[in-house]
Formats: sequence, structure tokens, C-alpha cells
Amino acid sequence: MLDEALRLEDVYLSTNELSGTMFSIPRAVSYFENIKASESNKDYQLIAGANLTLKLGETICIGGPSGKGKSAILRLIAGLARPLKGHIYYFGEYIPAERLTALEVAKRQVGFVLQNAALISNLRVVDNIALPLRYHKMGTEDEITKKVNMAMDLMRVRDFAKMFPHELSVGMQKRVAIARSWAMDPKLLLMDEPTAGLDNYNRRNLLPLIDNMRTMFKTSIIIVTHDLMIAKELDCNLVFLHQKKLTEPHSFDYWLRSDSEISKDQFRDLQSVSPNT
Amino acid sequence: MEKTQLKNWQKMTPVGRLFHTLGIFILKRRFGQLIALFLRTVASLFDKSHNFKSDSRNIILQTFFTGVEILIPLFVVATLFGTVVIIEVLSLMGKMGFSDIVGTLMVVVIIRELSPILTAFLIAGRTGSSLTTYIGGMVIDSEVDALATMGINPIRYLVMPSVIGGTIATIIMNIIFSASAIGGGFLVTKGIIFITGNAPNLQITWSYLSTEITKALTIPDFVFAIVKPLVFGIIITINACYQALNIKRDIRQVPKATSRSVISSFLYIVFADVVLSLYYFISYMQNLSTII
Repeated sequence: MLDEALRLEDVYLSTNELSGTMFSIPRAVSYFENIKASESNKDYQLIAGANLTLKLGETICIGGPSGKGKSAILRLIAGLARPLKGHIYYFGEYIPAERLTALEVAKRQVGFVLQNAALISNLRVVDNIALPLRYHKMGTEDEITKKVNMAMDLMRVRDFAKMFPHELSVGMQKRVAIARSWAMDPKLLLMDEPTAGLDNYNRRNLLPLIDNMRTMFKTSIIIVTHDLMIAKELDCNLVFLHQKKLTEPHSFDYWLRSDSEISKDQFRDLQSVSPNT
Repeated sequence: MEKTQLKNWQKMTPVGRLFHTLGIFILKRRFGQLIALFLRTVASLFDKSHNFKSDSRNIILQTFFTGVEILIPLFVVATLFGTVVIIEVLSLMGKMGFSDIVGTLMVVVIIRELSPILTAFLIAGRTGSSLTTYIGGMVIDSEVDALATMGINPIRYLVMPSVIGGTIATIIMNIIFSASAIGGGFLVTKGIIFITGNAPNLQITWSYLSTEITKALTIPDFVFAIVKPLVFGIIITINACYQALNIKRDIRQVPKATSRSVISSFLYIVFADVVLSLYYFISYMQNLSTII
């Protein structure tokens, strides 16, 4: 129990939660409405009975066809969507669905890199990275500056420190977003398509960084990606979202060689190449 | 999980279940959600993680954003309306021989009713709409989600400064409106008299106008000059933020939400004005009964 970072037990998620998080409406209202809607109609269920266990310091990749709710699982773990049923344990601690909000989850040092980097558009890159640190008063101004500079150096965005997000390209925005999450010292980091929009050079630079984070800082990482080669390069387990459930975690090579339906769908081109190489 | 949930429902006493249903019924309505958002904004003031420096900076920025840019249209509107009211009141009352209630009429029309309502309308059109677009854009770009996942309460970071800044600005703008309606209106009236060679046949001096108005002013007028814009400012900003945070992730909803925010702000302002003016109605009734 103590060595696990995250555990999902038999989680159900409704499609209604995808339309965004309503910060204006008390969550109890949508919660009861969703339960009613999904009991009457099974089509409302996006995820039905997903199980996942993540150990401390472990990295896991979630793959699967698009439009099947991979990002929704990350939103669920980050507390932006609320499960209909099921239990979610963060570092061995159970948060009931009534209290499961993004703020509550963020208190447990869970970082989230969104698919579009979602930088605050009226703040410069430096202030964007420093915003959560300043808000939570994590250290004096000198310490924050030091930390921000370190994060910018790691992600190679120091040259753009004084720019606004709209002046940056998508790839650079994503790097800034990763730097912002990294600066908060997350114990569990959720990444939604970290390599989408990055060129090959920066992708290759990003992967050792993720590797460093898990070896040096013992960060547990969940990556949602189409780029299945990440799993091979990071040497981590792959999980697929299949028929509204999460499969067992297995290594990249297992999936490549296995005979299941998922492998046929996802690894077809790789399988045809692999015997020759 | 589901079974335990059902058991919890059944565990409720009839009274508890009644209150539960009532609470959900109220919270499902827009009005209940607006009040809930306001209460959560107030509650967010006492959050554990607060940064006085950035909060006060945001509030001051919002105050200037609401106040400074509306200053010129507000000044023009106030001056012209003040002129119209002064000329009409003076000419009409002079003809009918009620020249001793000129001050009372000016206070009732300008300071009590026109100034808070017109200020609120101008601010709803200017600040309310821009707040909805601004926060709505953040919702669409999932910046609000990002704030929440960083542990920053969006209600505290976005709604609270806009509500406090907007309300402060509305109060200040209301005072400026009243002052410029009377002062500017007087100057423009003088100008009209000077240009037309006193064709409207008005006798007006500053000492006459000011003594009449100060005679007519009562303490409730001063209180309501603060309370009305306070209530209106809270209504405008909370409604704008509510409409913006309510947007589902669809860019077409932003203009709809903006127009909805402005129109419903107008409605709520008029309703609130009627409710607040009940005080004056009641005091009139009491005056009448003492006279009779």
C-alpha cells in the first residue's frame, strides 16, 4: 500500500464530464444528474470498470485509438472529471467522489501537463512558471527565481523568458508547460501527449528529461500518447484503453509479439517491419 | 459504491431528505447558482493559501480596468443627462410655481435613481461583457483547468479580484456620475443660457442650486449612494463570471454568453433597484401616515 502512487479500482466515467469542468456550478448538482443519466442509458458511460495500479517511481504509458477517452482518464485522475462509481487512491489515500476536486488532488502534489499547453495568456513565460510557486509561497523570491531559472534551463526555454505565450510556437509552449509542472516538484506527473507538436530533436531531448525525473526525483509518471515508441525508449509498461477498460500493463516487446486484437490494431506497421530489422 | 450511496439516501430522515431535495432544487436554478458562486467568492477570501501582493495587484488592475476606460463616456453621459434634468426641472417647476422642490427633485432623479442605474448599465456593457469574454476565452483554452490542477483556486484567482475591483470601481464611478451630472450639468446649462441669450428664460446660480440640493440631501441618500452601486457591482461581476465559467467547451458559446451576461445583468439591476427603493416607499408611507 505504501509504495503505490495511484490506484484506480473499478472506475466508471460518464461522457457528460467531457464537456468541461463547471467551476460556476456546485459539483453536487452535476454529480446527481450524471448518476441519473448514466443509470438509464449505458451509452453515457465512457469508461466502465477501469483498474490501474501505479507504483512509486514507476512510469506508465496509456495508448489506444483516439476518441476513446484516454485524455478523459487523465482528467479523471487530475480531479477535473468525477467518477460515477469506483475508488481512486492517491499515495494510498482514498478521496471520496464528493471531495474529489482538482484543488484537492493538487494538494497531493499531482502535476498535469494539458494537451494544449494552457499557459496563462496574459503572463510572460517566467511569470507563468513562477505563478504556482508564488501563489503557494513555496520559498522566498530568490529561491523561486532560482527554481524558475533551473526549470527553464532544463526545458531550454530560457531565451524566451520575457515572451508572451502567443509569441511562442506550440512545441515551445508545451516545453514551458512541462517546465511549469516540473517546478512544482510533483510526486505524480500526468502528461497528455507530451511529444505531439515537438520536432524530433526536442523529442529526443525531452525523453532523457522524463527519465531523469523518475530516477532522480522518484516521480511517478503517467503518459497518454499516440507515440508508442516512447514506451520502448523509456523502457516502461504500456496500458491500452480497450472496450471501455484498461488492459493489464505489459512491456512494449510483449505487445509487439502478442497476438491480441490490440496489437494487431496498434502495432501493425511495426510488426511488419520488426522481423527484418 | 452505488449501493452504499443508495443506503445513504435511505438513511436520511424525512426532514433531511426534504432539505436535500430543496437544496438541489435551488442549486439547479440559475439564481441559486449565482448566489452559490457569490458565497464561494466570499469564502475564497479566507483560503489558506493566499498571496496578498498578487491579489491586491489584481484587484487594483481590475479597478483601473473597470474605472479608467469608462471615465470619458460616463462623464459625457452624466453631463448631458444632468443638463437635461436641470433645464427640464427648472423650467417646469418654475412655470408651475413649485420652485422650492427643485433640490428634492434633483436628488431623487439624479442621485437616487439615475446615477446608480446608468453607471451600472454602462459598467455592465463595458466591464461585464469584457469579463465574460476574457474568462470565457480562458475556459475554452482550458487555462482555468490548468489553474485548478496547479492548486490555484480559479474562483479566488479570477472571480474574487474582478468582483472586488469591479465593485470598488462602480462605487467610485457612481460618485463621479452624480458629481459631474450636477456640476457639469450646471456648467453646460450656463453655457446654453450664455449662447442663446437666455432664450429658455432660466434663472440659475450655483449657490441656489447647491443650497437647494444640500438641503434636500438626507443621510439615507448618502447610504444608498454607496449601497446601490455596491449591490449593482456585485451583481454585474458575479453574473459575468458565472456566465463565463458556465461555457461548455465550444467557442460559439462565448458571444452567446456575453450577450446573456449583459442582458441578464440589466434585468437583475432593475430588479435590485426596485427592491432597494422599497426603503423609500416605506418611508414615504410612514410620512403620509404621520401627516394624516
